[in-house]
Amino acid sequence: MMKNILVTGVSRGLGLEIVKAILADDENFVYGISRLKTKELDELLINNANRFKWLSYDLSNVNDVRNKIFKEFIGVTTPLHGFVNNAAIAYDDIVTNLKYEPLLNMYNVNVFTPMIISKYVIRQFLLHNTKGSIVHISSISVHTGYKGLAMYASSKGALEAFSKNTAREWGEKTIRSNVVVAGFMETEMSAMLSADQKDRIYKRTSLKTPTVTKSVAETITFLLSQKAESITGQNIHVDSGTI
Amino acid sequence: MNKIREILNTVLENRGKPQINSISDSSDLRNDFGLDSLDLAELTVRIEAEYDVDIFQDGIVTTVGEILEKINNKK
Ligand SMILES: NC(=O)c1ccc[n+]([C@@H]2O[C@H](COP(=O)([O-])OP(=O)(O)OC[C@H]3O[C@@H](n4cnc5c(N)ncnc54)[C@H](OP(=O)(O)O)[C@@H]3O)[C@@H](O)[C@H]2O)c1
Repeated sequence: MMKNILVTGVSRGLGLEIVKAILADDENFVYGISRLKTKELDELLINNANRFKWLSYDLSNVNDVRNKIFKEFIGVTTPLHGFVNNAAIAYDDIVTNLKYEPLLNMYNVNVFTPMIISKYVIRQFLLHNTKGSIVHISSISVHTGYKGLAMYASSKGALEAFSKNTAREWGEKTIRSNVVVAGFMETEMSAMLSADQKDRIYKRTSLKTPTVTKSVAETITFLLSQKAESITGQNIHVDSGTI
Repeated sequence: MNKIREILNTVLENRGKPQINSISDSSDLRNDFGLDSLDLAELTVRIEAEYDVDIFQDGIVTTVGEILEKINNKK
């Protein structure tokens, strides 16, 4: 039977890699969300036309989740098996410059809308009696401090707490929730870092290299699958061994 | 009423709880049928799929009669 997985932030970076890894198993179908359709995304959509559907949705909009994503895009009659909460933005500044508006916007995209999506994802799992798996993407900045990342890291810390408690609450219904804690990857999100800053970050890892998006994506795919049926409420670090 | 009983029995069956034969307006979901919060969540989802009404959207429902009222209000 086809397994249907909802993935956010599929237009570039890690999200593209996640979709590729999931689609490598031809029993999987992906419902992808981002604001933009990039060239790479368009190619992936064309090459997997019968197993990959895409919706343009702005996750700063907390209000249309049920109608736009679940009723119109996925459809209530479609059994859902997994959700990957990957889309995020980084509000990067020192704490003394903190402003409410960008903070709220980041929380809407990184935390509030994903929490509301989780609500409907779990409802969809219940309706179809699926052994659903949820995977949130967090960041190593939650566990090791970095200058300028306090606001961003706080939003990821919120997801880690949400995931652990979701796991506890819904375990009885065979619904799992885990977090993949990613190290610094070479994507647009980290593009604003200077070579020197990146170097200092990589020096704090065991492998002394950036985290490879494919390795993160493969871990996510594993957690989504039945191979991980006894793993829930965990934070799995894929971070080049950050110390 | 029959449809509601059918849905209730699906929820009970999914948790390995005993089936029910008769229900009335005054039947209490928790006390008479032994539904807990997870069962009520599943009940909500199944009723929503059937009638497009979220019975827990505003406030708590405790009896079968209250569910029917929410469904009828929608019509
Ligand atoms: N890069 C790193 O070093 C690093 C390290 C640790 C953890 N992470 C985490 O890994 C995940 C993927 O990050 P990445 O590095 O791949 O970042 P990225 O290249 O910036 O991609 C972010 C994705 O999220 C989507 N997105 C952003 N805002 C959105 C909105 N308002 N509505 C809908 N979609 C939105 C983007 O699509 P659109 O712009 O088309 O909407 C894009 O597809 C994130 O959760 C990030 O926090 C990244």
